[in-house]
Amino acid sequence: MTDTDLTRVVVVDDHPMVAEGIEALLDSYDDIEVLATLSDGHQIIEQLDALSPDLILMDLNMPGMNGLSATEIILERRPETRILLLSMHDTPEYIRSALSHGAKGYCLKDVPTEEIKHAIDVVMDGGRYLCNGAEDAMSASVPNAREQLTNREQTILLQLASGKSNKAVANTLDISVRTVETHRKNIKRKLGISSTAGLTRYALENGVLQGTGAARSTEIS
Amino acid sequence: MFAVLDRFRLTYGQKLFLLAAVPLVLSAAAIAILVTNTSRQLAEREIDALEQQLIAAKQEELRNYVTQARNGFYFIYGAAAPDDQKAKDRVKQILAAMIYGDEGFFFVYDYNGNNLVSPRQTEMINQNWTGLQDSRGTPIVDELIRIARQGAGYHRYFWPKPSTGEEAEMITYVTSFPSWQWAVGTGVFIDDVVASVAAARAEVEARVQRTFFYISGITLGGLLLVFCSGIILNVRERRLADVKLQALTQRVFDAQEEERGRVARELHDGISQSLVGVKFALDIARRRILKGDERAEEALVKGIDHLATAIGDMRRISHDLRPGMLDDLGLGPALQNLTDNFTTRTGITARFSTVVFHNRLSQDAKIALYRIAQEALTNVERHSKAQSVTVDLRGHTRGGTLRITDTGKGVGQHRSRRPNSGLGLRNMQERMDQLGGTLRVMSSKSGTIVEAEVPLTHLLPPDNTALIDQRASNE
Repeated sequence: MTDTDLTRVVVVDDHPMVAEGIEALLDSYDDIEVLATLSDGHQIIEQLDALSPDLILMDLNMPGMNGLSATEIILERRPETRILLLSMHDTPEYIRSALSHGAKGYCLKDVPTEEIKHAIDVVMDGGRYLCNGAEDAMSASVPNAREQLTNREQTILLQLASGKSNKAVANTLDISVRTVETHRKNIKRKLGISSTAGLTRYALENGVLQGTGAARSTEIS
Repeated sequence: MFAVLDRFRLTYGQKLFLLAAVPLVLSAAAIAILVTNTSRQLAEREIDALEQQLIAAKQEELRNYVTQARNGFYFIYGAAAPDDQKAKDRVKQILAAMIYGDEGFFFVYDYNGNNLVSPRQTEMINQNWTGLQDSRGTPIVDELIRIARQGAGYHRYFWPKPSTGEEAEMITYVTSFPSWQWAVGTGVFIDDVVASVAAARAEVEARVQRTFFYISGITLGGLLLVFCSGIILNVRERRLADVKLQALTQRVFDAQEEERGRVARELHDGISQSLVGVKFALDIARRRILKGDERAEEALVKGIDHLATAIGDMRRISHDLRPGMLDDLGLGPALQNLTDNFTTRTGITARFSTVVFHNRLSQDAKIALYRIAQEALTNVERHSKAQSVTVDLRGHTRGGTLRITDTGKGVGQHRSRRPNSGLGLRNMQERMDQLGGTLRVMSSKSGTIVEAEVPLTHLLPPDNTALIDQRASNE
């Protein structure tokens, strides 16, 4: 057994039966080692450095922090981590969101089990993987004219727009100033806005800065 | 006026009652004051006229008495010299005897103020009364002498009644026997005039009060009528509202039952059957494995296929019940998905555009706007005969707006034909009412615009995200 060929994997899913099933499936392959099976996004972020997995198989739809937000935060800390999102949904919106948040692959849970292994191999080889159903859904839909902001980018945009400096944002979110800079660059590119004042105006015009949220607020995902 | 009323936080009914009652009371009060004043003035004039008339009659009578007496004495006085003491005494005697009525008598003062004749108050005789005043300070004897010196005239003052000693107003006519330097006169008490005038005044006052009372009564009646009709209206409205509520509840129940029935049917017809298929396949596989039959795998593959079908059905049912995308990705992607599916299903081109930030809307607002879009698209599909429809969602400084615009034939003509056709619109309206938002439906022959707006209270404040993400990264 050579260490270089061994893929170290963490499975994150809030449904124990699915998590167990996937673990059992992956255990049947010699070139995969399952480091841990976790049940939500917070756990993987906490244990990320300790486990330092090559690949994370994560459910997109989890209570608390969902797979999309978790993906972004994981990649901020360990950009080399490859993330394969699992989901029950085959709609293009999900798949697009998964890719735009930085996932390397998107796989439906009800595909034949061999396909999950195949997806892991493709992603570990540096490719992007979408399962059959997911590919179908993507090709059928019209692509969005403007690339959507990711959850993290939106969070950072709102903070910048409400007057915080890069450093303050970095402190609040516990990330480096460089990471904030990168996000800021991406936000400006996606929105086609060149100045910070422009970002503030954009947030104002779309009503998000004025929101009072006096009504029952919802969990952010 | 309404702004002022608003400040008191009155119910709609109370405002309406006030709006009816206040003008009524005000106008009634104005009428009452006007009527009272006018009738008082009118009565006062009449009373004055009456008083003057009565007093004039008394004065005439007095003048007659005095003139008559003077003429009667003329045969003595005219023949006598100024110092004829005998003639004077005779006249005094006769005058003293000329008492009439209860209080009537003649008096004589010489120009020096000495009383010469006073048959009812004999203690006054032969005393000097210069400077005598009544209780109100009106000079009496001096004035009488002054009038007599000038000829004849009337004087009014207060004088004790000879019969009772009580002071009362009296009117006097005085004339003179110039050569004897006498002031001769008689007076009459006018307290009866004063009394009848006072009675007349009292009657007027009573009449005025009666009028006032009538007006008040009528006003009160009016108020009562307004109040009662208000209550009746209120009760009727409430009953109508109750009926409406009942109908609504019934509708909700019906919809719920229908939905449950549909879900149960789908579970039974679709998923149950697939699962039964899986069970059979697994059973067959087990038997074949036991028998060493090589076709065991074939049965297993079949079972897995059935399971995939069941999972697909389940996904569809769950999505129909409530799109998970609304929670996972937000309203924008959910609407994108809705319009894409709509286009695929109906062939009507549906375009979706948005600049709203995802997941910045409250849970309630997301669901409401999604259902409104769904309902509006259903209407477009069923009634509008539109070629295309656009769905637009955007945030702005007042909140968030969802607008569904179609190029169909508009609403209106087909509405009355079906009893339930207004139901969808009413549902939309109710959803927005609950959020404190507004729903506008604008329709013409070239299309319909449905516009739903939620207020800023349904947009999350920006710091909310930071808090949640911070919690996430600290945990």
